[in-house]
Amino acid sequence: MRVVCAMSGGVDSSITAALLIEAGHDVVGMTMRLYDASADVRKGRGGTCCSPAEVDLARRVCAQLGIPHYVVDERSRFLENVIDPFARDYAAGRTPNPCTRCNQQIKFGPLLRRARALGATVLATGHYARNEYGLALRRAVDPQKDQSYFLFAMGRDALRSTWFPLGTWTKDAVREKAERLGLPNAEAPDSQELCFVPGGDYGAVVEDRLRALGLPTDALAPGPVVDTTGAVVGEHQGIHRVTIGQRRGFETRGNQKRYVLRVVPQTRTVVVGDEEDTRSHRIAIDDYRPLCAAGEHGRLEAWVQVRHRSPASRAVVEVSGNRARVCFDEPVRAAAPGQAAVLFDAEDRVLGGGWIAST
Amino acid sequence: MIHLDHNATTPLDPEVAAAMGVALERAMRGGNPSSVHGLGRAAREDVEAARRQVAEGLGCDPLEVVFTSGGTEADNLAILGAARARARAGAPSGILTSPIEHPAVSAAARVGAAEGHAWITVSVDSAGRIDRDTLVDLVARHPEIGVVSLAAANHELGNAYPIPDWVAACRAVRPDLWFHTDAVQAVGKLDVDFAAWGVDLLSVSAHKLGGPMGVGALLVRRGLRLDPLTRGGAQERGFRPGTENVLGIVGFGAAVARSTVARAERQRHVRRVEARLREGLLALGARIHGDPEHTTGNTLNVAFPGCEGELVSMNLDLEGFAVSTGAACSSGSVEASPVLLALGLPPREAREAIRLSWAHTTRDEEIERLLAVLPGIVTRVRAAEALEDVG
Repeated sequence: MRVVCAMSGGVDSSITAALLIEAGHDVVGMTMRLYDASADVRKGRGGTCCSPAEVDLARRVCAQLGIPHYVVDERSRFLENVIDPFARDYAAGRTPNPCTRCNQQIKFGPLLRRARALGATVLATGHYARNEYGLALRRAVDPQKDQSYFLFAMGRDALRSTWFPLGTWTKDAVREKAERLGLPNAEAPDSQELCFVPGGDYGAVVEDRLRALGLPTDALAPGPVVDTTGAVVGEHQGIHRVTIGQRRGFETRGNQKRYVLRVVPQTRTVVVGDEEDTRSHRIAIDDYRPLCAAGEHGRLEAWVQVRHRSPASRAVVEVSGNRARVCFDEPVRAAAPGQAAVLFDAEDRVLGGGWIAST
Repeated sequence: MIHLDHNATTPLDPEVAAAMGVALERAMRGGNPSSVHGLGRAAREDVEAARRQVAEGLGCDPLEVVFTSGGTEADNLAILGAARARARAGAPSGILTSPIEHPAVSAAARVGAAEGHAWITVSVDSAGRIDRDTLVDLVARHPEIGVVSLAAANHELGNAYPIPDWVAACRAVRPDLWFHTDAVQAVGKLDVDFAAWGVDLLSVSAHKLGGPMGVGALLVRRGLRLDPLTRGGAQERGFRPGTENVLGIVGFGAAVARSTVARAERQRHVRRVEARLREGLLALGARIHGDPEHTTGNTLNVAFPGCEGELVSMNLDLEGFAVSTGAACSSGSVEASPVLLALGLPPREAREAIRLSWAHTTRDEEIERLLAVLPGIVTRVRAAEALEDVG
């Protein structure tokens, strides 16, 4: 059976391809070129996922595995659907989630279409999540690597046509296998940052893109930091450099911990408060999409995750159409507008998810 | 793998490989062609023998052959070397090209323009044809033009152009013009004769006619001076300083010699393949770009409406056929081909193109196999693309 394997040049997708080959499939490697890293290379920064250096690595791995490899250009689609919305979100005081957008708009759309055009019935990726017979998406066996939070928006059609062979693997086992196979990327560090922001300076990316789009950049100027009483307690360097729940840089003089509670883009104000103030009891979700029948509508008891790397919390969710209201049993920390809220059942299956509209 | 991408590169001819093998043995003893000792003389004789083969095959004097690293360097040397030399001599140094030239020509012309030489282009019609009267009118009305550079055969379309006719017509109104033709896609396919064509400069590349990659030549009419692109030696009569690629040059000479063997018979076979392919592709609903009447006989630029060319070429690769997209797809970018856009195709249609190019070595049954697998590929690519339009 022909399977197209999405190859980022990293060790996870390389092992995914190797596993499919071992299982006897007719594997075709495909790498998307997502952005131009040349500007960053000039500044002496290394690339991460899908920069030209990673594309070369993917090519090398496919040559070593003896499978065909194609590079496809998705730079303009990635710019329009991932980077630009990322910049707009920050300018509007939201906290964007570009990895979910990329999965939704790039990986399981255009890539799956190409896979089908090449006669493959299945697209495989190196995501850590379990796909149960195309019917349900479940958290990976390795809790440290689980990526199901980023995958909720992939869509049910894509779920039926996608494999995640690493869902039952641990990262350690993946690395061990890569070493055994002598893959060139066996020891490459995990990418911790956004692929299109290799130096980690996402504020600069936001500024560059807003200017390129001819959008106002007034919202990016320094502004006041106020406490919950409205008293000015400091200044920040632009709301796009601030994330809800962030602590660093907002301590009081007495080193008391303070957290960003919200951002008011109209007045460029950042509101800070105690950890207790960052907690939300209720959140509203926009653009809600069920990923299985159980997540479709009505009143659901679910475990809701509002940030990457934070545990899901028990809640009651009222789903009506493409909106959902979440009421947590215990308030959750740092739920931020723009972030994904993903609903799980008690056995870690994704019921659905959407984007936090308000907290 | 069935090789239908001969315009990208041709397989190395076994006799060429044998000739290079002999030169390789000699290279193991050493010898720089510029050295006066016996080893040097042996290497020099290899180079000069190859020069005679190239000259004989292409209808020029051996003294008119300047070996280069290939077609791209030859094009750059022709255009920039001519414009710069003419400007220094106080002669008109402007450059005339067409919008469908190989990037080696267009990019060199752009550099020339940035240096202050005029640059104009002659229009092409929707089949990539150039009208002789339009061309003559342009060179007559633009006294600043000093160098005309037009390909003898187009790399993407396979159009063949009446270079001798154009040279004569342009000379009649502008005897001082230098005429360069990029014959990279013509040599080995058409009868190329430097002297009979009357051109001043002609680019050729070895690996398009069964020779090795990394070597080619610019033919330079005797008496004509060009500014070299590199400095630092007297090799190639100062036109191309740098130690010669002896092995490559030997292979190049052998390839040119081989390409003249049974040429008429080869051309007949290539044209028979063209006719069969054209008929078979049209029956499959394909659109064929380019001039159907004046062709090299070895190239068809084809599109299946509703099918991205990139996906068709990947599918063909998986089925064991080597073809290319008409697009500039180096390092995975799918810009629509500038050649097809210049023909007036909308970008979406330009991205549907694939280029099939073959040679006398292509067998009839290989073409039949291609025509047999294409319908299935077209159906599934179309189905997948239609899915996206809905979703």
